Amino acid sequence: MSNAGDLLHVVTADDISDRRRFFGRALIWGSFAALVLVALLQAGDKLGWAEVGFSTWRPTLYAYIVWAVCLCWAQVIIRGEQGKRVLFVLPAALFVISLVVIPLVFGLGIAFSDWNLSSPDGRKFNGLNNVRQMWADPFYWNALGNMVWYTAAILVEYTIAFGLALLLNAEIKARKFFRVAFLLPLMLSPVAVSWMIGKSMLEVRFGPLARLARWLGWDNPSFFGSPEMAKFMIMVMDAWTFIPFMMIMILAGLQAIPKELHEASRVDGASGWRSFWEVTFPLMLPASITAILIRIIFKLKLADIIINVTSGGPGGATDSVTSFIFREYRDRSNVGYGTLLAMVYLVLIVIAITIFMKLADRWMNPRY
Amino acid sequence: MKVEIYNQMLKAGKISRRNVMKGMASVGALSAMGGLPAPVRAASHGGNVRAEILKIPGVGMGSPTDADWQKVGEMCLGPTMANVAEGEFAGVELTFMGLNNQNLHNFLFRGFLKPWEAYTGAKINWIDLAQADYNPRLQQSIATGTVDFDIIEMGAPFEGDTAGRGLLDEMPDWVKDQIEADDIVGYLQPPVGTWDGKTYRITIDGDCHTFAYRKDYFTDPAITAATGMTEPPTTWQQVQAFTKAVKGQKDPLTGLDAYGFLDPLKGWGGFGFYFLEDRASAYVKHPDSPAWLFDPETMKPMVNNPGWVQAIQDVMDTMPDLPPDQINADPGTTAFQQFLAGTGSGICWWGDVGSSARTSDGSVVGDVVGFSINPGSDRVYNAKTSEWETPAEPNFAPNMAYLGWGVYVTSRVSGDEKKRKAAWSAAAHLGGKDISLWMSAYPSGFQPYRNSHFQYDEWEEAGYDRAYIEDYLGSNADSYNHPNAAIEPRIPGIFQYYSIAEDELAKGFAGQYGSAQETADAIAAAWEKITDQIGRDSQIALYKASLGM
Repeated sequence: MSNAGDLLHVVTADDISDRRRFFGRALIWGSFAALVLVALLQAGDKLGWAEVGFSTWRPTLYAYIVWAVCLCWAQVIIRGEQGKRVLFVLPAALFVISLVVIPLVFGLGIAFSDWNLSSPDGRKFNGLNNVRQMWADPFYWNALGNMVWYTAAILVEYTIAFGLALLLNAEIKARKFFRVAFLLPLMLSPVAVSWMIGKSMLEVRFGPLARLARWLGWDNPSFFGSPEMAKFMIMVMDAWTFIPFMMIMILAGLQAIPKELHEASRVDGASGWRSFWEVTFPLMLPASITAILIRIIFKLKLADIIINVTSGGPGGATDSVTSFIFREYRDRSNVGYGTLLAMVYLVLIVIAITIFMKLADRWMNPRY
Repeated sequence: MKVEIYNQMLKAGKISRRNVMKGMASVGALSAMGGLPAPVRAASHGGNVRAEILKIPGVGMGSPTDADWQKVGEMCLGPTMANVAEGEFAGVELTFMGLNNQNLHNFLFRGFLKPWEAYTGAKINWIDLAQADYNPRLQQSIATGTVDFDIIEMGAPFEGDTAGRGLLDEMPDWVKDQIEADDIVGYLQPPVGTWDGKTYRITIDGDCHTFAYRKDYFTDPAITAATGMTEPPTTWQQVQAFTKAVKGQKDPLTGLDAYGFLDPLKGWGGFGFYFLEDRASAYVKHPDSPAWLFDPETMKPMVNNPGWVQAIQDVMDTMPDLPPDQINADPGTTAFQQFLAGTGSGICWWGDVGSSARTSDGSVVGDVVGFSINPGSDRVYNAKTSEWETPAEPNFAPNMAYLGWGVYVTSRVSGDEKKRKAAWSAAAHLGGKDISLWMSAYPSGFQPYRNSHFQYDEWEEAGYDRAYIEDYLGSNADSYNHPNAAIEPRIPGIFQYYSIAEDELAKGFAGQYGSAQETADAIAAAWEKITDQIGRDSQIALYKASLGM
């Protein structure tokens, strides 16, 4: 045990021999070579180059696990105490890689192939054909266009949610009751919402809302008949479910604002509106951006209500990308093309969210 | 029989209790004797077995339980005993994949096969699937080459995916004799269940569309004055005229606006396309050719030929005369929320709409509903000559929408003769003539599919109301045995074609295409893409095989 050096952070000062280091490296590279070899053999077997007799991909999986174990072990061998620290993170990182990166790579492989589950020929690599097909697919572009509308509706939802949050933050009677009551729609599954509201309450003949509409003088109420109306109703149902979510996040933000700030603004003679616009709103921006961002992510997944209520109709007016991919993938077993559409959607989402976050960053920072 | 039908019949008193005491007495006597050894018991029923099994648990005595299924399975063991010695399959293990809808299907099969297992010595392992999981599971098994079941409950549309790829085992001749295959109704006879002349399927279910209409629309003075029709329409031309003429009248039952024939305009996961087929089959299913969806030589879609376009045009023509929001009505809506609730006067649907009409609490059309086979057409398009023809009699072509369930044996057992015989023996037990009568009379999830199921005396003897059962089953029987029935092609991916057609039709109905012809052309183009993707040559070969060409 040494008594020199960084005594505060180092528990044991390792004295690691060159032979031990060599063994560690050999362990890593040896197991890695084994992994590569098994993977190549497996690929060769799959592609028909060599007859090895691997019926599943398990040998490669086992080789990966062996390599992962060796990699972790070698950290300790090579780096001693420092390596032990790495062990706190490395297995988790390897696990994430195996569950995210590897499927993503396989997914990309599928996305660039022609794979209809009903085709006797199975999967065939087809290069960029799926991209070309997507480029010329009016259904996909229509769905993407609809997504722009659906996402834009978040601004309205945000305004309503903010208003509700302000109300619930105010000194009103039965505040606790309203907080719970307003949260209820969020607790419902969108599938339940689509059946209870979309298919029952909005049913044109017997639905209570249709009756109300008739009583109000609308002779032949039709909630999903015209493209604009159908899109609007889908937005409303989705908003009804998720406004409480934004509301609760904004409410939490409101409650975190110190009371002194409002009191100070009042002392300075700010009106209610000025106090909101100059104090509350800027302070709420971080919470708002988070709420909107999470809401966008929810919105981009919008599918269940559409699938249940309109199946994307009339004429594709309510189709979302997810509901279109669902039909392409599930009803038409078009695995390759469906995967490509999902991948492209993923890329679009990543780009859009990155831009949004950059912009949000720019909006927010000059204020302070 | 479908569960909901059975329950509704019970509620509405359509099942009489006349025979219940009789049934209880005989079952009671049997149990008082302490039960006989299985072989004796099964054999002793002899020719009476059909009447005896219908007493288990007794019509009107509540839903049958596992004990009842086992009892029925045991009493129907006779044909198995004739072909299999006791304990012959000792040590054989089989895997059976099927559905668990409404706790039926596999649940029944388990009960039915338990005595079979006891007698033969074989053991069955079960894979239960929900309906929604069924197609993906089957297709993934096929696509990834991981078929892990020996016996499978499967719909005929999948025969292309399975038999077409050599995944099924050919039915031995002794099975055909054991299940009395000749008794099965006309449309389920070969080529259904066969590929390249080989038989693979033991039918356990049947399905077809029939025309249900409101009789009171043809007696109501105001409506008949407006339409000039006192008899229900028998052709689509009459249906069109009626639907247009009835607009503006009031429904005799509900007093609300009257409507004619209801077309579902919204997709239904591919199943919605059957309803366009109902119209189109009369126009395009020429008696001289079994093909009506694709040209069997080229797989070129027929869906944009003048006959199909006429069918699409018909739908578009009557759209203004349909209830508001019809664009958002799928087939389930038209049947259960509209027709049964008193909106509209005509509909094409499967058998259960007819029976629900009389027995469901939600139905107001009660005793004013009548049935016939699907309407025909005054003229029929001959795809071979590309000409419209006007036959002396209207052209009828009932739509055999979905071919019902069957039991199949996979080629996993082909190499092992003992296992193969065991698998076929189990399947044959489920598809037996007597056991099938029980399945069509009690909740099972299956419809009648044998000519012997239409012996109304047996139903009456068991305690059913004869007039009711004749009405319920009659139009089905007429459709099943029609010589020009439009039969679904059993090619791989048939529902993919239906699904994309629904999407394109939705655009057409929403006015995004210029005409019915453009809509049909868009469907045809999409179908060509699917055919190319799945493989044109193999599709042609499989389509021909499915048509028996």
